[in-house]
Amino acid sequence: MKPLKIGITGVRGIVGETFTPEVSVGFAQAFATYLDSGRILICRDTRSSGPMVRSAVVAGLLAAGCEVIDLGICPTPSLQLAVTRLKADGGIAVTAGHNPSPWNALKFVRGDGLYLDPQQAEELLDIYHQGEFAKATWNKIQPAIQYKEPIEYHIESLKRAFDVETIKRRHLKVAVDCCNGACSLLIPRWLAELGCEVLAINDDPNGVFPHRPEPTPATMAQLSALVKAGHADIGFAHDADGERLGIVSELGEPLSEELTLAVATRIRLDQTPGTIVTNVCTTAVIDQLAARYGSSVVRTPVGQTYISGAMFEHGAVLGGEGSGGVAVPQVHSTHDSAAAVGLILEGLARSDEQLSEIAGQLPSLFMLKHNLTVEPNRLYSVLQDFRIAIEGEQLACDLTDGIKVQLSEGWIHVRASNTESMIRVIVEAETESNARDLLDWARDRLNK
Amino acid sequence: MRPIPTLKISISGVRGVIGESLTPTLLTRFAQAFGTYMGARTIVVGRDPRTSGEMVKQAVTAGLLSSGCRIVDIGMCPVPTVQLLVRHHRAHGGIAITASHNPAEWNALKFIGRDGFFLNTGQARELLDIYHQGDYTRVGGAEMREVVELSGAIDLHIQTIIDGLGWLPAKEKKLRVVLDACNGAGSLAGPKLLEALGAEVFTINVIPDGSFPRPAEPLSENLGDLCDAVKEHHADVGFAQDMDADRLAVVSEDGVAIGEEYTLLLATLSVLGKTAGPVVANLSTTSALREVVSRFGCSLFQSKIGEVNVTEEMQKQNAVIGGEGNGGVIYPRLNFARDSLVGMALILHLLARTGQTITELVNSLPRFAMIKEKMKCPSDKISRILRMVRDEYATYPMDLRDGVKVSLPTGWFLVRGSNTEPIIRVIAEAEHEAEARGIIDRVYSRVQECLGQP
Repeated sequence: MKPLKIGITGVRGIVGETFTPEVSVGFAQAFATYLDSGRILICRDTRSSGPMVRSAVVAGLLAAGCEVIDLGICPTPSLQLAVTRLKADGGIAVTAGHNPSPWNALKFVRGDGLYLDPQQAEELLDIYHQGEFAKATWNKIQPAIQYKEPIEYHIESLKRAFDVETIKRRHLKVAVDCCNGACSLLIPRWLAELGCEVLAINDDPNGVFPHRPEPTPATMAQLSALVKAGHADIGFAHDADGERLGIVSELGEPLSEELTLAVATRIRLDQTPGTIVTNVCTTAVIDQLAARYGSSVVRTPVGQTYISGAMFEHGAVLGGEGSGGVAVPQVHSTHDSAAAVGLILEGLARSDEQLSEIAGQLPSLFMLKHNLTVEPNRLYSVLQDFRIAIEGEQLACDLTDGIKVQLSEGWIHVRASNTESMIRVIVEAETESNARDLLDWARDRLNK
Repeated sequence: MRPIPTLKISISGVRGVIGESLTPTLLTRFAQAFGTYMGARTIVVGRDPRTSGEMVKQAVTAGLLSSGCRIVDIGMCPVPTVQLLVRHHRAHGGIAITASHNPAEWNALKFIGRDGFFLNTGQARELLDIYHQGDYTRVGGAEMREVVELSGAIDLHIQTIIDGLGWLPAKEKKLRVVLDACNGAGSLAGPKLLEALGAEVFTINVIPDGSFPRPAEPLSENLGDLCDAVKEHHADVGFAQDMDADRLAVVSEDGVAIGEEYTLLLATLSVLGKTAGPVVANLSTTSALREVVSRFGCSLFQSKIGEVNVTEEMQKQNAVIGGEGNGGVIYPRLNFARDSLVGMALILHLLARTGQTITELVNSLPRFAMIKEKMKCPSDKISRILRMVRDEYATYPMDLRDGVKVSLPTGWFLVRGSNTEPIIRVIAEAEHEAEARGIIDRVYSRVQECLGQP
């Protein structure tokens, strides 16, 4: 079975196989119908299927009578900010984020600049499946408008949220890897605004990804070499659409993507204690850090929409996920790697610490992630069997999202990926051997 | 009676009403089918100024890119410009986004092969089979090709005409021309061409914003404003184009619309006056053409109706000029397509060369009266109507290549179903208006009776 994932995070698939122009047109019509043919923004990342998907989406939106404003290539968070600035009813980002280049996807943003919540997403899916879309007559169809300033406006919003003068005084030298994605147009400019000396690689928005556009230590070798050779204070790695961030210390050591949020949490709580929102399978380092500052952590299901929702509900000072996504509410309550960059550089500038010192002071835990490829039609039965096995052993399950089990050595989390047809297993413990034991324990029960 | 569908998928392409039947999904699937049929090559895309044009173009772009095609987007332009550009760029095909003379709520895709001709019946059937089978070529991101936005397609078209026919001879008094482009694609090309030729140009309806200031067909009854403008400006001639600028109608210096049948006659005079050779027209073209052609000692061949049928017959006969009585002029030396721009240039050169006025030229031509009627007709009635006509007029000579054409002692008439709309057309021609009216009344009433029967 070929992967096409239609779910609450949008629709995602491989172009040339399941992610066809018809699917793109249909979802655009459904979204337009859902928003009553209002004003809708569209942007895309740099991948080579972007123009095809963009055209299909524009056709669907225009046919439904929307006022379409095309932002061209820009990070998804730039679109999210533009939605509120331009008083749009919603937006569609054409990007598969951290997925490899054969993939593409549509992400749906509502009028407040945040992703559709689960109920809204389900309603959108119902409209799509029902297949009865708004249709504009010839005299209600208007040409798409080009809007050229989403990046300028994003930078303006960032400048209002951070202490630019303090950062400028530190004269930081910053290495960045934009993975030839949409951040190529934003991050080097943002760093220049912050008075940083910028060493940029893969900053040509041509869509040829030099490595997987997922900022993990496995993809940060090039950036780490650049940090060392250029004697940079810090290195930042980006995904294709400006949501996830990876960090390399001044020593050239890539940090686990789990620690991006940890570093941001440490810096944030140092300034402003308060609630941190993250998902159930993000490192327990966050809880230990929060405890140090007398702050609390709220755990949500996996997905930005849950993070954003809980951030509002709890008045959180920071949100994010172990994937490297950080949401700074002064900018907006959604993952934004440029905002994360601002927060971290502000922290470095204020404390005069080195990044390696901040990282070194974080609680030390060992996490293992394991992906189990499963046929799409078996994903949920495998999970069901796992849960029955756990409950048979009289263990308590946290079912916020997937299945989380707390054992004395650490925790285990098992869930179906929202974006690919696999089961993700995450375990975390104090030591590597304990973590391996936990993983074996989980795999034993998944293979039954 | 159930409503007649507004979607028409036929060998002429796919045509429908925006907001009803012509959906982006259907369009993107057709573009994929065409991309698959053409084998993932370079495709030229152009559109007329309809308000739905941008939506249709985006759907087509997505479909062509998905099937691995490279797109040369020449923007808003006449259909003959798309055909010319396919040949000029040695592209492998083209899609013209236009519902030509249909009202504003319609749009359509017309498919063009690598020779710049519309797909012929056989090719169109193959395309439709691919569309219906739904198994389209789909390429991944890495193999996806680019959209090249090409400006200057219209300039190239104009230059081709100037290079081929030359400027109008320099005279003290320039020819004065009024152009009515129906706010269509011709708005962008017509005024430029006429000025480049050396005429003094006045324009009406040259804002290509998708509004229809008059019905798009350049029929005499739609050209009142142009007739007035010709008189007001004391012009030598008035030209009217349809929405996609393939058809042309002429208004005389007296402000009289001479009838779109006369466009091809004037163009034929212009061409045969310099180069003798075979002429091709479709079988519903006025009999006056046969007389004109025989004056020059040349022969006329008749083809089925539809541009591609005319062009194929022209190739076969090695024709020097051809076209259709609806104002479509095809001059293969410059552009093997119905081309109103070429038509205007030929007629202006005729005026300059002969020194005669449009009225004088028309008066020198044999006069026939032609009457065209149409009525809505569900598809299941068409064959019954044609059978009725065939039986009723069995004793007269008949041409059955396209509907039923019957030759009577006083003239001829033709009954056929449209390829593009759910209507049946009745055309009659005779030497005198009264005779033509008599023929059409008899046939029309029989057709109506037939339509009324359950």
